[in-house]
Amino acid sequence: MKNILAIARNTFKLEIRDRILVGILIFALGYMALTLFLADLVLKELPMVESFGLTGIYFFNAIVALFLGTTSFFKDVDRKVVYFILSKPVSRAQFLLGKFFGLCLVLLLTSAVLGMAYVSVVAYEGGGFSGLGLLAIAMQFLEMALFLAFAMFVSTFSSSLLSIVYTSVIFFLGHIVSSLVIDAKTIGLGGVKLFFVEVLYYIFPNLEKFDIRNIAVHAVAEPFASFALALAYAAIYIILLLSAAVWIFEKKEI
Amino acid sequence: MVQFSHLTKQYKKQKVVDDFSLTVDVPIFGFLGQNGAGKTTVMKMIVGLLAPSEGTITIDGLASASLEAKKKIGYMPETPYFYERMTGLEFLKFCDELYDNREPAPHHYEVLLQKVGIFAARNSAIYTYSKGMRQRLGFASALVNDPEYLFLDEPLDGLDPIGRREMKEVMLALKHEGRKIFLNTHILADVEEICDEVGVIHAGKLLYAGSVKAFCAGHPLEERFMGAVAAHERNNAMHAVPVAAASN
Repeated sequence: MKNILAIARNTFKLEIRDRILVGILIFALGYMALTLFLADLVLKELPMVESFGLTGIYFFNAIVALFLGTTSFFKDVDRKVVYFILSKPVSRAQFLLGKFFGLCLVLLLTSAVLGMAYVSVVAYEGGGFSGLGLLAIAMQFLEMALFLAFAMFVSTFSSSLLSIVYTSVIFFLGHIVSSLVIDAKTIGLGGVKLFFVEVLYYIFPNLEKFDIRNIAVHAVAEPFASFALALAYAAIYIILLLSAAVWIFEKKEI
Repeated sequence: MVQFSHLTKQYKKQKVVDDFSLTVDVPIFGFLGQNGAGKTTVMKMIVGLLAPSEGTITIDGLASASLEAKKKIGYMPETPYFYERMTGLEFLKFCDELYDNREPAPHHYEVLLQKVGIFAARNSAIYTYSKGMRQRLGFASALVNDPEYLFLDEPLDGLDPIGRREMKEVMLALKHEGRKIFLNTHILADVEEICDEVGVIHAGKLLYAGSVKAFCAGHPLEERFMGAVAAHERNNAMHAVPVAAASN
């Protein structure tokens, strides 16, 4: 456990010094400031401002997760920094988990910074403190942690560039997979085609489970049950992905 | 004591280390071979970066790749790579954090950095370090846990003459502290100067293991080394002839 924490802490410290990450964060904060002007365009309708804000946090965190997940672990292995680490009393599982938790901490930091910017923008536009808004950000964080685990899993067997491609495809599929099944049934798809769509549904993560932005913005329902469900869903998926990643990494010759 | 028993590493049909058996129990053991002879592969297997295809390696009876054995060792890879945005001091501290229950002495890291000659650059980012400074930091990282056994892969590469002299002095000082050093090198003069015993490896085969003096038998080490390699090549060629003839 001590090793996992040491690697997580080190990963966090290193990544927050990364100029690309800092650049993305500055850009994201710029976007959050821009929502003040966007608010003027939509006649200062608060739900629109909130929606712009939450979507911005989601978009920029997705970029951060994609960037960190596909580069951080891969670089350590590819550039052979792991030689120093794995020759010490550190198992490959501890190293991989340490990297994952360290990157999650970075995502937590970016979520917190952008979350504060969001709350400030909403307050400036006359809105109050929104628990649902924060819950939506927390759900987005869960999705990004899952996304990160997938990116790290892919990084154990492919190059950084391919990992970006695979992870982006999964991100896209993850958001359409639930509607694919509904659409397939609606248009009366059957047999092998429906089976194929259902296989996709069960294999790929259903990332729509984490999207409560509309619910948060319009406050139409109490989503705490869906939060608990999403938490369990993310935890199971992350455990499976990291277990597979550890299994592959332990067999890898470096 | 480091023991290799029938160690083999095979990639598809090519054996890069072939039935390697050896016991090392001297203060400084030099592992000598040309580039591509299999030295680095053996060292990577010792520290668990590669898994042997066959055979075992033990350190004081413990499987060398086990976490228990790794507490006793320090490893410096050939061409060390680091986290470039860290400082040298930060990197050493991070390496030390990976050991359980260690209480480093006051100024442990500073002393180490002084020992390898990069104390002045301790707070500079590693990406500003020269190749020689990186070698020195790699050496310090291998020493961070006060290891009983040191495995150094070409530790003197990239160092200027003064740096080489200093590092050799550090190795001799470590020897006098009772640590055991396993040194990979292709530089014969270093072996002659500091090693108590040598192992000569060529094309994955161990050709000789024993004292430098016995190996040289009054001849220059370079001559004996070249002779051993040439004899092995001749032997291989002789065995290959009937096979080639048969295939014709």
